[in-house]
Amino acid sequence: MRPFTWLAPDTTEEAVALLREHGSGARVIAGGQSLLLAMKERTVGPSHLVSLGGITGLAGVTTEPDGALVVGAATTYAALTRAALRGWHGVLSDVAGDLADRPVRNRGTIGGALCAADPRFDVPAFAVGVDAVLRISGAGGDRTLPAGEFLLGNGLTAIGQDEILTAVVLPPPATWDAVVFEKFRHRVFDAAIVSATCALRRGSGATPAAVRVTVAGATATPVVLAVDAGATGAHAGEVAAASVLPDATDEPTRYRRELVRTLVRRTVDRARTQQGSA
Amino acid sequence: MTETQARPTGVAPRLVGTSVPRKEDLALLTGTARFVDDLRLPGMVHARILRSEVAHARVRSIDTAPALEVPGVLDALAGAELVGKVKPWGDLMQDLLVGDHFPFATDKVLYQGQELAAVVAETKYQAWDGCEAVRVDLDELPAVVDPEEALAPDAPLVQEQIVYEFGEGNVFDRYKVRIGDFGAAEAGAAVVVRQRFATNKQAGAALDPHGCVADYDSFTGVLTLYSSTQSIYMVRDVLADVLQIPRTKVRVVVPDVGAGFGSKAQIFGHEVIASLFSMRLGRPVKLVLSRGEIFRSGTTRNAQVRYAELAMAADGEITGYRDYVVHNTGAMSVWGNQVVHIGTNVGMLPYPIPNIHVDSDIVHTTTAPGGPLRGFGIPQAIWAKEQLVDMAARELGLDPLAVRERNVIDPDEFPFRTPMGHVIDSTSIKQCLQASAEAVDWSAPRAPYEGKGLAVSMKYTSCRHPSLDTDLSAVRLRLETDGTVTIYSSDVSHGQSHATMLAQIVADGIGVGIEKVSLAPPDSMTAPFGLGTYASRGAAVLGTACRLATERLRDKILAIAAHVLEVGPEDLDTGHDRVFVKGLPDSGIYLEIIAATAAYRTHQLPPGFEPTLETVATYDTPTEREGSDGSGNLSVTYSGAAHAAHVRVDPDTGRVTVVDYAMVHDTGTVINPLVVEGQHHGGFAMGLGMALSEDYVYDAQGRQLNASFKDYLAVTAPDVPELTKTAEIPAPSTMIPGGQKGAGESGTGPVPAAIGNAVFDATGVRFTVLPITPQRMLVALREKERQGVETLRYPDDMPDFTGPRRHADWPSPVSAGADLDFDFDWEDDD
Repeated sequence: MRPFTWLAPDTTEEAVALLREHGSGARVIAGGQSLLLAMKERTVGPSHLVSLGGITGLAGVTTEPDGALVVGAATTYAALTRAALRGWHGVLSDVAGDLADRPVRNRGTIGGALCAADPRFDVPAFAVGVDAVLRISGAGGDRTLPAGEFLLGNGLTAIGQDEILTAVVLPPPATWDAVVFEKFRHRVFDAAIVSATCALRRGSGATPAAVRVTVAGATATPVVLAVDAGATGAHAGEVAAASVLPDATDEPTRYRRELVRTLVRRTVDRARTQQGSA
Repeated sequence: MTETQARPTGVAPRLVGTSVPRKEDLALLTGTARFVDDLRLPGMVHARILRSEVAHARVRSIDTAPALEVPGVLDALAGAELVGKVKPWGDLMQDLLVGDHFPFATDKVLYQGQELAAVVAETKYQAWDGCEAVRVDLDELPAVVDPEEALAPDAPLVQEQIVYEFGEGNVFDRYKVRIGDFGAAEAGAAVVVRQRFATNKQAGAALDPHGCVADYDSFTGVLTLYSSTQSIYMVRDVLADVLQIPRTKVRVVVPDVGAGFGSKAQIFGHEVIASLFSMRLGRPVKLVLSRGEIFRSGTTRNAQVRYAELAMAADGEITGYRDYVVHNTGAMSVWGNQVVHIGTNVGMLPYPIPNIHVDSDIVHTTTAPGGPLRGFGIPQAIWAKEQLVDMAARELGLDPLAVRERNVIDPDEFPFRTPMGHVIDSTSIKQCLQASAEAVDWSAPRAPYEGKGLAVSMKYTSCRHPSLDTDLSAVRLRLETDGTVTIYSSDVSHGQSHATMLAQIVADGIGVGIEKVSLAPPDSMTAPFGLGTYASRGAAVLGTACRLATERLRDKILAIAAHVLEVGPEDLDTGHDRVFVKGLPDSGIYLEIIAATAAYRTHQLPPGFEPTLETVATYDTPTEREGSDGSGNLSVTYSGAAHAAHVRVDPDTGRVTVVDYAMVHDTGTVINPLVVEGQHHGGFAMGLGMALSEDYVYDAQGRQLNASFKDYLAVTAPDVPELTKTAEIPAPSTMIPGGQKGAGESGTGPVPAAIGNAVFDATGVRFTVLPITPQRMLVALREKERQGVETLRYPDDMPDFTGPRRHADWPSPVSAGADLDFDFDWEDDD
């Protein structure tokens, strides 16, 4: 680790001002579970660290009048695991409780996971999967972006150098009637090789009104698939597999394609079952 | 555990054979154990090594001068200034004259992670700053990662400076076995099965990193090296030789070592570098490697490609084995070529195969050095051979269990000499095989995508290495003047529980309470000469030295007691910290009185008795040197392992789950069942990693892509099934006085093969490479479906393959048929 200056603002505005002041050498730190590892290996060497730890209101979960769930960007995985969330919002607790290991969950934050934009991380995949909206504060004011537009590539996001991700907003419970997340990883604490999210809204009959299937891990950013609302899991799996690097024949890509097929089939089938029983 | 030894004492409960709680555990569980990185000496400074980012390059220049300008930096070193001042090393003491190791690359970089320069500073971060300031100019050369590509005439040449005795080009050494007549076996066989099998490059992954603190005393001229190593004398002798100073001026001390698995069984560059800095500065220098450095520059399991064939008669008798082995020993290696010798020799067990024909090219690649790792070549050999046994059995329509029952060594009389030359003094391998199969309900029908597989192996207990004609350990015992006992040994315990195991032997031998027996830390200034802890030699070889020293100490104790009590020594017994007249265990003389007499009241000693109670014993195994045909009894005794795996394959994700696993072992007389069971469980876990997940992944430029615990898929606790079916069927060794056999490595040998056979049983896919990752499994299943076949070999589907490439196909420095025996026979064999 190289020497750096630790800055601990009390407000988001202050934090934004510090980022502006110190320019490209400044980095935001929340739980530090990605950044600190890179700093220890000296693969990054920020001059200033702007900590979000002291900013009131950045950690914790609140509910909007319409039922949307506002998750502060500095909320830790561990806090999310303990939170009592209603309906499919509870899947976020499950996702947060089943990744990495306990020390990482105790320090790591939901905002950190999104800003790291690692294609294999679960939170960005889930956020795109349920069509979450991200709140961003900057010198020019506040803005919002759908999660799918926030993630631009492996390690790349739409956030500006002097902007801070402040919250992840999950749409109101009524948006979806069932949300299912599945992933495959080698060891229990490894990042996912592939994950799939199926968000489903019930229709009047047996056919859902809307199905949103999102696949992550196989590509640089999560991919939302065009799946027919009436598709069975098996059919959705075929559609999904065909859309992942269809021309590649190497073994790792073939494998990811197979996993996409399996996980999409499982999530869609599970979501359809849950819809039926809901 | 059956008791086969008469109780040596009259009254004390016998400790050998019981699960005495480990003396080591209190410190480990309370966090008070002290490992090398815990050491802090007054005035200590910190060194760091600058390592090559590229795998293969010519060194244009390395300039350390800028590093000296960095704040806190005290000194810096690179290779050029050491040439002619420190001696290259790389030979195993005597026979193998290879000076391929040097503290830093001088003319060429041979693998990613090789040392280029080093910096010492007041803090380790300043040392890192210094390393970053070193100016390095390298001219990158093409890498050679694949061992078979390394054999091509136009392959980049790895080692340019060294003239090898038995090889040329990238062939560093050759090995051959000629037993019987494989050609005749092939002609007469009902079936010959053939397959190319490749194995993986596995890391030792000991949690305690490699590292040392060197402390040179400029007044006495003694260099003390505290190091996380498995062998103090190999490190001392090589270090003294490299530095060209007397061996009395080098002292090697070992703190607690958090495992080695073979990966710490040699000297490393960092130990030399820290020593050089300490000698130059006169200050203690700490140099502890990071995980990435250990991955890239530590030693790994040698990856092999085996073109293996097995001949079987119609009744299931194994009549022959032929193999051509390309053995990847990395860019350089101290132990690497030994692995193929011993792994192949002992890997033929537990079958007395009459016709064996093996050739091996031991090749250099621009990858991390190969070396010993738990199993020492046996898991690789068993992976090929035990799968061939299943393949042949299936072709003949025979039950793999019945074929193994028919072939495993089960003679009417012991000792039994196999055609390969192993002298089997005892074994229960057949009973182990039957018990393991029964434990997983072998004959029961399989659920879909579930399968069962068997594999059997025998593991050498210690070894007379072809390049190291010795197999000794020693123990010195001192009965202290308060009645406690100190054990001195140079064989480092790094998980083998020497403090407990040796204390059990001593406590039984002289009747002292085990709590009064302690093991001194390994220290070359005080410990008798021994080779170290590797090759599963602790319980049998070190244990025998300890037993002999204990018997000698007991004789001396009884002599004093007999004199004082005016009885014959044969009328005395020991127990409860006392020596007493037989039949009167509640009377007698306390050991502390006897010890004090021997030290402080020497007039009361028997006439002519040499005062003080200290004994030493050295035990060298009665093993043979390797013969020119590859035969020989290299090991004093052989422990048996029969494993039965029950796996489940997820056809949607490719994950292979070991749902049940039975291990039935013959470890001879077990000193401490708790310790031995732990060794077997740990050995299994390493085998599981080799079977399913672990491997070095290199890119085409020879850069390792997974040099961290995040990316290298070492096995963790949740991956290991409940190992409730671990059992012993002891056949005590008749060569080792206490009956022990080696425990440390026998749990690893059969694991990849047993799982491979079970995976075939579950899916019809015969894997020919390791590890069997979910990726390979799932792609193989899809490939099998696509081809519409019942069975598939993956990825090398070559059932029509008609034989290994012969040794003669490769360029050879000597004519075919020439006698390659350059060993000098020191022993009078005839």
